[in-house]
Formats: sequence, structure tokens, C-alpha cells
Amino acid sequence: MKKVFSFMRSMRFGMILLILVMACSLIGSLIPQGEPAMRYVRAYGAGNANLLLAVGFTDIFHTWYFIGLEVLLCLNLILCSILRFPSAMRHMETLKKQAKAKEEMDFCLAPGEAERIREHLLRMHFHKQDSLYTKNGTGAYGSFLVHLSILMVLLFGSLALLTPQVKDQTVMPESSLTLEDGTVIECLSFHIEDGDGRLDYASVLRITSPDGRTTREQEIRVNEPMTFGGYKIYQQTYGTAGRLTARNLADGTEDTFTLTEPCFLSIDSKNGIYYNALYPGYVEEEDGSYTLITSTALGYGNPVYSIESITDGSAVSVLAFPGETMQIGDITFTFKDPVEYPGLRIKHVSLVLYGFLYFSFGLMVAALYLTFFRAPVCVRVEEDGYCIVSGKSQEGLEIALQTLISKQNEPGGTL
Amino acid sequence: MNVLLFASLILYFAASVLQFLAVAAKKELLHRIARWVMAAGFLSHTAFTVWRGFAAGRLPLANQFEFASAFAWAVTLMGFLLYRKLGQEGVLTIAMPAAFLILSYAAFQPREIKELMPALRSVWFGLHIGSAAFSYAAFAIAGGLGVGYLMKFRKVADQQDPGLKQMDYLAYRMICLGFLLLTVVIFSGAIWAEQAWSSWWSWDPKETWALITWIFYAIYLHQRLRLKWQGKRMAVLAIVALVLVLFTFAGVNLLLPGLHSYASNG
Ligand code: HEM
Repeated sequence: MKKVFSFMRSMRFGMILLILVMACSLIGSLIPQGEPAMRYVRAYGAGNANLLLAVGFTDIFHTWYFIGLEVLLCLNLILCSILRFPSAMRHMETLKKQAKAKEEMDFCLAPGEAERIREHLLRMHFHKQDSLYTKNGTGAYGSFLVHLSILMVLLFGSLALLTPQVKDQTVMPESSLTLEDGTVIECLSFHIEDGDGRLDYASVLRITSPDGRTTREQEIRVNEPMTFGGYKIYQQTYGTAGRLTARNLADGTEDTFTLTEPCFLSIDSKNGIYYNALYPGYVEEEDGSYTLITSTALGYGNPVYSIESITDGSAVSVLAFPGETMQIGDITFTFKDPVEYPGLRIKHVSLVLYGFLYFSFGLMVAALYLTFFRAPVCVRVEEDGYCIVSGKSQEGLEIALQTLISKQNEPGGTL
Repeated sequence: MNVLLFASLILYFAASVLQFLAVAAKKELLHRIARWVMAAGFLSHTAFTVWRGFAAGRLPLANQFEFASAFAWAVTLMGFLLYRKLGQEGVLTIAMPAAFLILSYAAFQPREIKELMPALRSVWFGLHIGSAAFSYAAFAIAGGLGVGYLMKFRKVADQQDPGLKQMDYLAYRMICLGFLLLTVVIFSGAIWAEQAWSSWWSWDPKETWALITWIFYAIYLHQRLRLKWQGKRMAVLAIVALVLVLFTFAGVNLLLPGLHSYASNG
């Protein structure tokens, strides 16, 4: 039992875990993740695909063993280093003790040189205590804080990845959608290009809280989501929809429809139009026929509606252009310019959790700085020599002090 | 303005050749000429980068060409700064050919200036990609020092040789710096991804490879800090790690497309 425990808290175990995480990441980056099973069968053959699916390599980052690795990493970090906090607190004292206990100095000094070393150390902001010069006491907490922040990133990061409820929704300009808790999102307008013609997907939204008391209007764009009442709303995608107005000549009523999917518009189920699709453009041939452009890459420059006009149950395929009006029975259908609409991503997440996650990021960067560039060091200077004691390599300081002395000893050398 | 880019390329090449000749002939004068040629290359590279930034109306870090060029620029800058601080020719002997090779790779990428796609227009863009350029540069110099170490070790065969010890230590310090910056790269990328795509981590190949690289360097640092590994073993690890960095930098774009694939097409 004791042996297991001491292995669990050892650095060797930590490194083995890290190598295993690396191996899983490698597999996860080489094999496409989360695809439908048929894709794997097509790419690797049935036998191999079954094997990959069985061992979870097709969704490795969600397998029990990958999550198990993360849990073990956390355990190792807690056991090994977080519990070693007291030794970080004593670190500087330990260094001082080691320096004092040295019987022989590591570097010899000629008479007078010790004073120069002392002056130099004071200039470098070392603290003096008898013959001991110390610096960077706070650096002792570096590796403790690095490990703590890694632990925090793993915990808060997993929570932030696993907990949010994310929903993708389209919303037409000048219409609204109501979320489960009653929050209302209204899209006031949407545009794809900014004033200078640059691509810039932006929606102006108005959001109202469930109790109707708080309302906020804000423009969101890619990279600039808005937060409101625990929701984060992203400008995610966009689409183009057809529009037409139907007018009943018999009673004068009128209705405008937004066409996103194929549909049949009729009053009596026998006469009306069946909407197939909206095409972004067309080329008119010499014989008067049209060739349709299907690529949406260049936008909807010359939009054209593909429909079937249905009279007494019999259908005729036709093309219709914005501005065109068609009468079928007692109804006129007027095709309008298409509208562009945003696809919103609505994420319900604790912003406090993200706050903690980002704090852990900052903490890790600061802690790495402490570990690498503020390592605690103690220099003992006696008249005939000096020594440098530190938990980390101090070649930089060693070289600086040696250079100081050799420069001084050069004829005409100065500090 | 491409003339500035090709001038830098030629000057970096000339500096590398002169530096190798200087090392072979042990001639200080040749070293000095190599440094001046390199400095001229650096000036023209800087002018090209500034021009490109103005021409594009943004930081010139948006695609594989611009990033590779920034990577080469960072290698040269770091080479000069280290040389100034430490006075060691070895750093320049590594930085010169490294900058030349990286800039040559850049020159083969599509170079037309494209408008920044909306997903890249973010305050995190400069921090994320700028720190990546410097992080990779630090790793490149460390890897180069690893190669230099092994070459010198074959001649000297004594781990206690002061020259070797200095190279070993410097490679370790560069890895400390690169590791810190790589951490900034990963975190700024995570914050940015959350702003743009709603999820801070999505295991896309570039992210995954940045993590693989990060873990590899974390292992390197543990072996060094805790087990006090030094010398040959560390040099080999620094070289292997550099291969991972280069794969994250270029290989992922070519072989494993994902969210970051915008970086591979002009
Ligand atoms: C990524 C996950 C990491 C794991 C699982 C891990 C694990 C460990 C373990 C198990 C130890 C040994 C503690 C002991 O012997 O008591 C250790 C030591 C250490 N680690 Fe990490 N570590 C990680 C990341 C890092 C990073 C990124 C750094 C940054 C440099 C770092 C710096 C150190 C240092 C400086 C020590 C020596 C501590 C000391 O001497 O007090 N670790 N680590």
C-alpha cells in the first residue's frame, strides 16, 4: 500500500501519465474524431474500423481511459506537489542552512575581491544577512503554483468543456425567439458586409430577460459575442432565405412568407406554388434559357427562385425572379429580394467558471515566470571565497560573478 | 517590395556562408563581416515586415507566409540579443542558417495580401501569433544549440568542457523562455477560441499538437530541474522537441487540416 502511494506521488508516475496523454493526443490528431462509423469503414476497411471503434480511438478524448488519465494526473499533482507547500515555505531557510554548512567555498577569491562581489550582489538587489546574500524568496513558490494552476486548469477547464448547454438557432431579421426560461432574443437587423464592403457578419440583437424588466440592445459579430443573464450569444453562421408575399384577391388579405425549406403554399391544397430552392444566380444563354449558379461563394447577386406552379393538382416547373408576380387561381404570389439571416449560437454557462479558468491561465503564466526567472538563490561571501546555493541551475549568476572578477583582474579593467 | 524579402533571403544566406567560413578558418574579421551582412538582412526583413503591415492595414501575422516570416525575424532578433548579452558567436552560427531556412520556407508560401477573415479580427490575434513566433524562435535556437552540442561533443567528448556547459545551459534557458511563451500561445488561443467559436478547446489538430509539444517540453524541464539531467541527453531531447515544434508549425497544416487550416491557404 505504502509502495503504491509513494509511486502515485512520484514524478516518474507524473511523467508516465504525461507520456500517455501525449500518446492519446497523437492518436486523436491522426485519426479523425467523432465521424459517423461508415466513414471509418470506408477509410480503413471494416475490420480495422471495428477495432478503432471498439478501443475508442475514434473519439479518444471522451473515452473512460483518457478521462481516467486526467483524474490520475490531478491526483499525482495534488499528492506530489500541492502537499509539498510547507517545503516551499521553508525553501529559502534550507538554502541558507546549506550555504552556512559549507566548509569549503566553491570559488576562491583574492584579497579585495570579496568586497567587489558584495557590492555587485547589492546592486543586483540581493538581501544581505551577515555573510549571506539572498534573492527571489517568492520564487520558491513557483513550482507549487505551476502545479496548482495546472490542477485548476484541468478542473475548471473540464467543467467549462462539459457543462455548457449550447444551442444553435437561426433567427430572421425583425423576428424573435424565446428561450426555455423565457428570455427573448429579437434580431433587429443583420448584415454581412460593413460600410466599406469588408466581410463583417453582424447582428443587432435586443434581449429581454424572462421577467421583461431588463432589456439590452447590442451588435454582435464574429469574435464579439454578447453576454446577458448567464447566456453568451455568438454570431455563428448565416444563411439566405427567399421571401414572397401572397395576396388573396377574393378577400384582399395579404401575408409575407420567409422561405428557408421546400414548402407548398396554397389555400385549397390544389392550387398554389411549391417552393423548391433559391439559387444565388444565373447566366442567361443565347437561346433565352437560364443556367443556374449553385455556388454561394459570391453571394446572391442574381437570385432566382425555383418553384412549381400547381394548378388543379398538376405541376409545372418554373423559375421566378424577385419583383415578379404570378397569379394562380385567386391568389397572387409576389417574389421579393431574399433576406440574409444570422445563425446564432446560444451558450448557457456560468461566467464565474470562465472567470476562474482565465484566472488559472494567468496564474500559470505568472508561476512559470517565477519558476524560471525568479529562482531563489543564496550566495555566501567570505573573504577568501564564495559559493552559490540554489535548487535550480545558476550558471548565469556564476558566469556573471566570474566575469566580474576576471574583468577586474585584466590590466586596466573596470567594473 | 518583394525585393526587400529576397534581399533579406540572400543576405541571410550570405551571412550563414560567411559565418561557417569564419568558424572553419577561425577568422574574427570574417565573423564581423558575417554579422554586418546579417544585420543588413535583418534591416531589410524588418522594412519588409513593416511595409507589409501597412499594406495590409493589420499585423502581418495572418497566414503561413506571414507567420513563417515573423518566425525567421524572431530567430534573427533573438540571435542578435543573445549575442549582445553573452558575446558568444555560437548563437549566431545557429541563428543565421535557421533564419535563412525558415525564410526560404516562407518564400515558397502564397504571398498575396488577403483581407483578414472576421474570425481572425481579435485583440488576441497579435498576442497569440506574436508569442508563437517568439516561442518557436526560442525553441529553434535551443534545438540548434542541441545540434551544436552534439557536434562539439564528438570532438571534445567531455561534458565538463566550459563551452559545452554554456551551450547546454543556454539551450535550457531558451527552452524556459519558449515554454513560458508557448503557454501564453495556448491560453490566448483558448480565450480567443471561446470568443470566436464558443469553446475554449476543441482538440483540433493544431491545438492538439501544441499540447503535445508543451507536454514534451514539460517532461524535458522535469528531467532537468528535478533529476538534474544535463548534456548529451538534454541536447537530444531539445532536438526531438524541435522536430515536434516544426511539425506543429508546418506539418499539421499540410497533413492534418482542422480549424486552423485557414493558415495553410494564403
Ligand atoms: C503537466 C503536468 C505536470 C505534472 C503531472 C507534474 C508533476 C510533477 C511531479 C510529480 C513532480 C515531483 C514532485 C516531487 O518530487 O515531490 C514535479 C516536480 C516539479 N515540477 Fe512538475 N508537473 C507538471 C507540470 C510542470 C510544469 C509545466 C512545470 C514548469 C516548469 C513544472 C515544474 C516542476 C518543478 C520545478 C518541479 C520540482 C519541484 C521541486 O523541486 O520542488 N511541472 N512535477
